[in-house]
Amino acid sequence: MQNVINVVLSHRVPNEVQRLAAYWESLLGGGNVLIAYGGPGESFNKIEFNPKIFIDDTRLRTLDHQREAQSYTAVFQEVSRWLRSQSRQGDYVTLFEFDHAPLARDLNARQVERMRAEHADVVAYHLARVDGTSHPHYLYYAANPEFARFFGNVSVRIDRQVVLSMFGTGSCWKREVVDAVAKFNEPFPVYFEIYLPTLAHHLGFRLRDYGEQNRFISNLGDRSAELESVRKRGAWTLHPVKNLTTILSSTSGR
Amino acid sequence: MRKFLRSIGLFSARLIGTRLTDFQTGCDLGKTLIIPWRGKVHVIGLKTAVRVVFLPQKRLTYWKQEIGFTTHPPPDFPNETSKMSADHGEKERD
Repeated sequence: MQNVINVVLSHRVPNEVQRLAAYWESLLGGGNVLIAYGGPGESFNKIEFNPKIFIDDTRLRTLDHQREAQSYTAVFQEVSRWLRSQSRQGDYVTLFEFDHAPLARDLNARQVERMRAEHADVVAYHLARVDGTSHPHYLYYAANPEFARFFGNVSVRIDRQVVLSMFGTGSCWKREVVDAVAKFNEPFPVYFEIYLPTLAHHLGFRLRDYGEQNRFISNLGDRSAELESVRKRGAWTLHPVKNLTTILSSTSGR
Repeated sequence: MRKFLRSIGLFSARLIGTRLTDFQTGCDLGKTLIIPWRGKVHVIGLKTAVRVVFLPQKRLTYWKQEIGFTTHPPPDFPNETSKMSADHGEKERD
């Protein structure tokens, strides 16, 4: 069994974070959940769960995530630093937002198997190539010459124009990719759903998609009511699930 | 209010717009309103990220060319991290 660290990102009140962490541990087993807290510093200290790390970065705490170019760079840097400080090493790191509900007890085994089957270094939901397309995030950054210059400078690829996009939550990374990405700072604010996959690609890593699992992951709305039905349809996870009570009261791991 | 008006505008654009088809795969790309305006073509209401290309034509026509829409295939690039090590090695030697 590979060693997987599940990073659960939350900014909610301490009590809710504790319950969510307990749910994660009850489903996937203890000792492989790391809470990355992006809420107020005083609330972080009140969270009675370990391990936990505080992400002290205003670029994580955005409201209009796309236009304010929300960043997960500090999350990667803190997770990488935390992993280095541990005697127990993680082979893989998954990244989940608070409203992304795990549904399968063997979620990590499925993710690792997917990575092996695809010979991937990273798997992510809704991974797509967007350069030269009408994708709004691509078009926005295409207007800034610094964007292409940055990736052109770091790239080991022959084609340095490739731009990838992925869904923000649920990605699974080999540890070495997390460490490699964490060494870089954004040259200017770049939305992380473009920045992270594009940087990993240009550093030479292979990114692949979750395939048919994509249908259980969407960006808007609240799919809390679908928990049981998607579980029966083979979902590993579900997003977004805004009603935490629904997650915590659902029968886990069936 | 602005969001509400934009929603109505997008709904109308998709209602009266044209349906686009991926010229390579034949897949439906959704409906959009296409308006030429001031030397540019405005594409309104399209949800899919598309690439625009002039289509190859079997007949040599000087009076008409066709513009088509397509998408990238799913990313399937190999791992090239060995190049990263080589690049860094070269830079260190320099």
